[in-house]
Amino acid sequence: MISGIGSIFIGYLKWTKDVCAFFFDILYWIVVGPFKGKLSRRQSIFQQMVFVGISSIVIVFFVDIFTGIVLTMQTAYQLEKMGAVLYVASLVAVALCRELSPVLTALVVAGRSGSAIAAELGTMKVTEQIEALETMAINPTRFLAVPRFLALLVMLPALTILGNLSGMLGGFLMGTKSLNINPDLYMQTAFKYLELGDIYTGLVKSVVFAVIIATIGCFEGLNTKGGAEGVGKAATRSVVMSFILIILADCIVTGIFYFSKI
Amino acid sequence: MNTNNHKTKPIISLKNVSKSFQGRKTIDNVSLDIFPGETFVIMGCSGSGKSTLLRLMTGAIKPDKGSVTIKDKDITKASPQELDEVRKGFGMLFQYSALLDSLSVEENVALPLREHTKLADEIIKIIIKMKLSLLGLKGFEQYYPSQISGGMRKRVGLARAIALDPDIVFYDEPTSGLDPVVGGVIDKLIKDLSVKLMITSVVVTHDMQSVFEIADRVAMIHKGSIVEVGASKDIKNSKNDYIQQFINAKPEGPIDFFKEDIGIIEALGL
Repeated sequence: MISGIGSIFIGYLKWTKDVCAFFFDILYWIVVGPFKGKLSRRQSIFQQMVFVGISSIVIVFFVDIFTGIVLTMQTAYQLEKMGAVLYVASLVAVALCRELSPVLTALVVAGRSGSAIAAELGTMKVTEQIEALETMAINPTRFLAVPRFLALLVMLPALTILGNLSGMLGGFLMGTKSLNINPDLYMQTAFKYLELGDIYTGLVKSVVFAVIIATIGCFEGLNTKGGAEGVGKAATRSVVMSFILIILADCIVTGIFYFSKI
Repeated sequence: MNTNNHKTKPIISLKNVSKSFQGRKTIDNVSLDIFPGETFVIMGCSGSGKSTLLRLMTGAIKPDKGSVTIKDKDITKASPQELDEVRKGFGMLFQYSALLDSLSVEENVALPLREHTKLADEIIKIIIKMKLSLLGLKGFEQYYPSQISGGMRKRVGLARAIALDPDIVFYDEPTSGLDPVVGGVIDKLIKDLSVKLMITSVVVTHDMQSVFEIADRVAMIHKGSIVEVGASKDIKNSKNDYIQQFINAKPEGPIDFFKEDIGIIEALGL
């Protein structure tokens, strides 16, 4: 029993060490690669930006607009008792920008794109395409992981901004149509208490989440073992580990912002 | 065992190479010399270790013991950068072609050129056209691997392998899964490339028709050890029971299929 728990713990420690080493390998190719004349192909980065970003617009829009609506109803339920329904606007805006939109967008992208990255690279691994790249003296981390990493690093904050806007739109629709708040007043209240720092903190979080999703998706894909079953396991593992680490990172980053009064 | 009579320096040399996986010895103290310009075939049953031997030669895996030297460079002691330099000098055709699904035929063949040369795109396109024409693939530049047949994928894989005009090409089961006519076409291409471009070819196969069609020299491998190495004709007429059983596809003989199976089950601890 204890030895079983111990071996699981050691397994996770080894996994963490390998993921960190892989992350630094990606950083190495981003920073040092251009000086060695080994740039990632622009076309490949744009393709990945379309895949992880443009193709996720619809799902991010719907998830965040409904979250905005639900959040408005839930906060109105509380604030009505205190006669402060008007403050729904600012509460929803701040909660979305600081917390809900970055986290929900990251979870959606981890489920949609992170798993797809792991499955695609995993299939490449089991069909010898990764070994073919190595045999051609092409580093798979530089060729496959770096474009996906950079694409997520740009597109996840962009999707988070979209999430902020669509969530606030949901709140606005709910607040003005159902709670009968004057539209002008709703907008004034929302932006009166929403500071630039609230948006920045959300975007900083989304950058951290992008690093997590891209690193884990690529790592699991490139380390796939076995055939179709291995690919399925890699995709599942990438989603599970990304979800856990996104929430953990959210907790840590929020703590840092909270205690440093940002 | 090495029975070659060559006087030139070997282009590939394996010395006392051993490799184990999960305690099971897959390659056992193998020594081989392969000489420039020859077509060297490694034959053996499934699971005999021939693909592992090929992967040791390409540096995909490192041996537990021994050395693998390619063009005077011991790749077992090479740094990743040095290994990459050696790899730029050879090409490989994989068993299932291993073309990148997301790239077209043209982009697949262009990949080594775009990665390792500073040639202008127009020049690269001309080179690709030449390589594809050599392999009878003119007009298929814009197709994707999923849109072409298995035989064509092998030919695209071969075009990619020779894109950088390598001295050595490794072939892993080049005719497996192909019909006899397409298999014959691939054999002819391997032979043509060796003769026309003076490429050293190392072919792993258990297709007997293919072996004697293309080989200058043949090595028979069984249970990770070399049984015999010799000229194609000598191997065909060898008195070795293992070789005779293998080339004549006899179920009875020293290669005991059922015993092999038991061995694997024991090794897996089942």
